[in-house]
Amino acid sequence: MADSSAAIKAPSPYKRARPGIDWSAYDPGAFYDEIISSPGNARAAARGLVSYTRKMSIKHLLSRQQAADLAIQEMGISFTVYSDGENIDRAWPMDILPRIIPLKEWKVLEQGLVQRQVALNKFIDDLYNKQRILKDKVLPREIIDSSPEFLEQCIGAKPRYGVWSHVCGSDLVRDADGTMYVLEDNLRVPSGVSYMLENRAVSKRVLPQLFEKHFIQPVDDYPSQLFDTLASLSPRPGDQPEIVVMTPGVFNSAYFEHAYLAQRMGAELVEGSDLVVGDDDKVYMRTIRGLERVDVIYRRINDDFLDPEVFRPNSILGTPGLFRAWRKGNVGIANAPGAGVADDKVIYTYVPAIIKYYLDEDPIIPNVPSYLCVDKKHCDHVLKNLENMVVKPANESGGYGMLIGPASTRKQREEFAARIRKNPRNYMAQPALSLSTAPTLCGNSIQPRHLDLRPFILQGKRHYVTAGGLTRVALRKGSLVVNSSQGGGSKDTWIVDTEAG
Amino acid sequence: MLSRVAERIYWLSRYLERAEDTSRLILVRHNVILDLPRSVQPDWELLLNVLGARESFDARPGAATEKNIMSYVFSERENPSSIMTSLASARENMRTSREVLPSETWERVNSLYLSVARRANKGLPRASRHGVLNGIVQSTQQISGMLAGTMNQDETYQFLRMGRNLERADMTTRIIDVASLALANPEEDVSPYQNVMWVSVLQSLSAYQMYRLSVRHNVRPADVLQFLLRNRDFPRALSHCLLELEASMRLLPRGNEALKAVQSVHRKIKRTNCAELEGQALEKFLDHVQLRLQGVHEVIEQTWFTPEQ
Repeated sequence: MADSSAAIKAPSPYKRARPGIDWSAYDPGAFYDEIISSPGNARAAARGLVSYTRKMSIKHLLSRQQAADLAIQEMGISFTVYSDGENIDRAWPMDILPRIIPLKEWKVLEQGLVQRQVALNKFIDDLYNKQRILKDKVLPREIIDSSPEFLEQCIGAKPRYGVWSHVCGSDLVRDADGTMYVLEDNLRVPSGVSYMLENRAVSKRVLPQLFEKHFIQPVDDYPSQLFDTLASLSPRPGDQPEIVVMTPGVFNSAYFEHAYLAQRMGAELVEGSDLVVGDDDKVYMRTIRGLERVDVIYRRINDDFLDPEVFRPNSILGTPGLFRAWRKGNVGIANAPGAGVADDKVIYTYVPAIIKYYLDEDPIIPNVPSYLCVDKKHCDHVLKNLENMVVKPANESGGYGMLIGPASTRKQREEFAARIRKNPRNYMAQPALSLSTAPTLCGNSIQPRHLDLRPFILQGKRHYVTAGGLTRVALRKGSLVVNSSQGGGSKDTWIVDTEAG
Repeated sequence: MLSRVAERIYWLSRYLERAEDTSRLILVRHNVILDLPRSVQPDWELLLNVLGARESFDARPGAATEKNIMSYVFSERENPSSIMTSLASARENMRTSREVLPSETWERVNSLYLSVARRANKGLPRASRHGVLNGIVQSTQQISGMLAGTMNQDETYQFLRMGRNLERADMTTRIIDVASLALANPEEDVSPYQNVMWVSVLQSLSAYQMYRLSVRHNVRPADVLQFLLRNRDFPRALSHCLLELEASMRLLPRGNEALKAVQSVHRKIKRTNCAELEGQALEKFLDHVQLRLQGVHEVIEQTWFTPEQ
């Protein structure tokens, strides 16, 4: 892990402060750093940032960070954590030093992300219809049979354009040699895009000078792109579609985002009890003007809770009849019920094969090498090398229920090994990657911290990929856990065109 | 506008007004009792009757002492109409509809709730009673002022306005009730203090000065009633509250039924001769008005909050 001498300390008040930040003292060690290529030298796309901060004292930089923290409080950017039986709104943690990716590299990643989403949507559509991929034995049938995310109720459904996952968030990580990998796909209800937008708004407030130095791709059109994607699913084309964002409610950890997106799109933010499905199998919302027809639902609630008639009968978050209305084509639902079958972490290992099968192309962005515990040989390998593995349950998100080998105790590994032996289908493992780092303000010094990237990809009638995405950073030294619910922070992500003036 | 959001805004406003008016109501009773001669046993239980909390209070253990009654109406969370419960409900309704309300008002409501919650177990001893209750009245007034001064006066605002005025109309009748019940109480012969008591009612409604400006002679029961029931200009008078309700209903879609219900209560009040309202007739009249206001609430609910399929 990073050497502690890598830290750049704030000048002591008794010495004369050095004029600016000395980047030659910053050393990420063996890791790939997103900003600094070798001690004191910036990567091409980050030259503006590095030369700008060279003229800045750490004190000055810290005061910008304080201004950002204040802006975040004033703008009410928060996320909710559940602890000690209470919901607490926490201010969103953002580090002002941006993460920078050159446009040229991004263009390739963008193609790779679209390729992935297109192939995965074809795959989901095939699974619920002809099941060619199973008949051709590219994917073993048992995997689908044992997947809790495969919804029999969806068999035969034909959502518009054959698209099931309209909003996808794929997590990208960079290894020590600079290669970007897809770590996982989130095809159900990926969150974080509002923080990407807010991070940009904050950087523009506190580091406006840098926006003159760099040619940074804007991100602000996401809400209107999302609106267009959703509008293209309306069963009444031509009309002004009535779009709603469906939230489980104020207690959900992503409630801020639900309200934010509804506001930015000019859509109503609804809960399950605000909707009603009529005898005509159409969806209506209860308004002070009476019942009004709903055309498209951007749901931020899991399949299980969506419709108590079809899924969990005791769900009070959903709306009875929603599924029926969707099957009849009377309402668009994004993402479609059942789309989660493809973000199973076991399916993940087959994505390269899936891309090859449906598109006859090689994957542009590689997968992290993965071991499926259901395979006896793989399982033995994983159990033998637990110390160097990251083991994940097939169907959890938010970083819960994981084992991070290098950071685990012997006791934790033994417990985990027992769990894997008991239910191998439920686990997959990947070698612990040396995640890339970027300079981050920690206390009053700049230190390397590990990060990942979640871009958001939209597919309806057309495609759209956010310019960059949400960079999440593990704020604890050496930590690889970036989830905000577990002490992660974030950074603004800049896609910088080095060839433009 | 979603019915759920409208309903939460309406209740937020009702609960804030309820917290304010309950504070005012306790203050009237407190002031009257301070004026009673020492030979008279003060009757605190009257507060329970007026606030409709009699049955729930009796169902709990503990005697009907001043201390117990005060904590029951002030800070008891089990009491659905205590000040504490009203503020907690106002806060919960606001918390879940924050996106349509100015954010500073949420901070004010939250801090008012927290300040009352912090002193909940101290009860309301006589020494601090006036200060605490007056503080609640001032804070709620500040919140209404912020809402009125910083919000679009659109449909959302009409639900705030309806909630406030319906609750206020109801609570004004209950504050008058405090006086009328005290006058009818055989244990507590307060007839020599009649005028003092009506002055106290006016003061607790912040109405004394406005009354003197609009009624040009001494404080007389019939005039006070006339003022509090039928004055169109004083914001806490019943007639004024009903006019406000009517105005909001005219600005909302499908408001006809609700409008009719309010107008019918209003006609009833206009037809009543205040000089004849004494003793039991006054009590009966106030009970009747309270029931009719409950009827208005039901129409509001049916019209906007639970639209039929």
